[in-house]
Amino acid sequence: MGELSARLQEELEIKTVFTIPLFGGIDVNQSVVVTWCIMALLLVVTLFMTSGMKVKNPGRRQLMIESFVVWIQNLTGDMLGEEAKQYVPYISTILIYLGISNIIGIFNISPPTRDLRVTIALALMSIVLIESAALRKKGPKKFLKSFAEPMAVVAPMNVLELGIKPLSLCMRLFGNVFAAFVIMELVKMAVPIVLPAALCLYFDLFDGLIQAYVFVFLTSLYIKEAIE
Amino acid sequence: MSLTAIGAGIAAITGIGAGVGIGIATAKAVDAVARQPEAEGKIMKILLLGCALAEATAIYGLLIGILIVFFLQ
Repeated sequence: MGELSARLQEELEIKTVFTIPLFGGIDVNQSVVVTWCIMALLLVVTLFMTSGMKVKNPGRRQLMIESFVVWIQNLTGDMLGEEAKQYVPYISTILIYLGISNIIGIFNISPPTRDLRVTIALALMSIVLIESAALRKKGPKKFLKSFAEPMAVVAPMNVLELGIKPLSLCMRLFGNVFAAFVIMELVKMAVPIVLPAALCLYFDLFDGLIQAYVFVFLTSLYIKEAIE
Repeated sequence: MSLTAIGAGIAAITGIGAGVGIGIATAKAVDAVARQPEAEGKIMKILLLGCALAEATAIYGLLIGILIVFFLQ
């Protein structure tokens, strides 16, 4: 039992890949490096797919990327509604990044969303976007007033919500990915063949995509709510 | 060590609430789709949202369990 928990703890640790020798050494984590790899992959795929676009006689590649872009824009546009259309690119980007980073566990790479710091950063980006969307739409005076809606009594609740929204967003994503990772590691230790492959389909593919969807869904729901 | 293990086990009880909640939500969603198959897309969306919110309690339980195991040794 002690050996098992030691092995599990070793797997769960977020490793430092290398240290930048600046300002007394900046540690670069595994999750940051994996995020860079995902960014590079997305950049290469985007450049490849968008090269040589034509108005007449589009090639197969162009049709493929066009239908994908339309699909994802419809998906996020439906969630955001007509009034918040300008946030579609951001939400789509987050959806693609989260989708890839959640299912990357299939290739035996540790998913970056397993690191609490990554999900905290994403949730902070979300809450800043939500509040700044409200500020832009309503103007400073109305924005401050909106905290006292529907009654002045609930103002503390509304202020508390500023902290609760990002907390539950980041904890939900982190908790799901982390729990899936722990269960997969435990199963791999107990039964090394066949069973992990079947469970991987559920935990990595299905659950990962659902959680990516839920994250952007809740973010766009909050945006929609904030600019009403 | 054994007492912290019991504590983590108690924290895992939060799973009951999430399980019951998601179960009820899914049952109602199945009911609704059976009655109105054309509203499937909308029902699916609301179901996902409800499941995500119901699941949050289980995730908090998991979080407390992890904190207990790693920090109360």
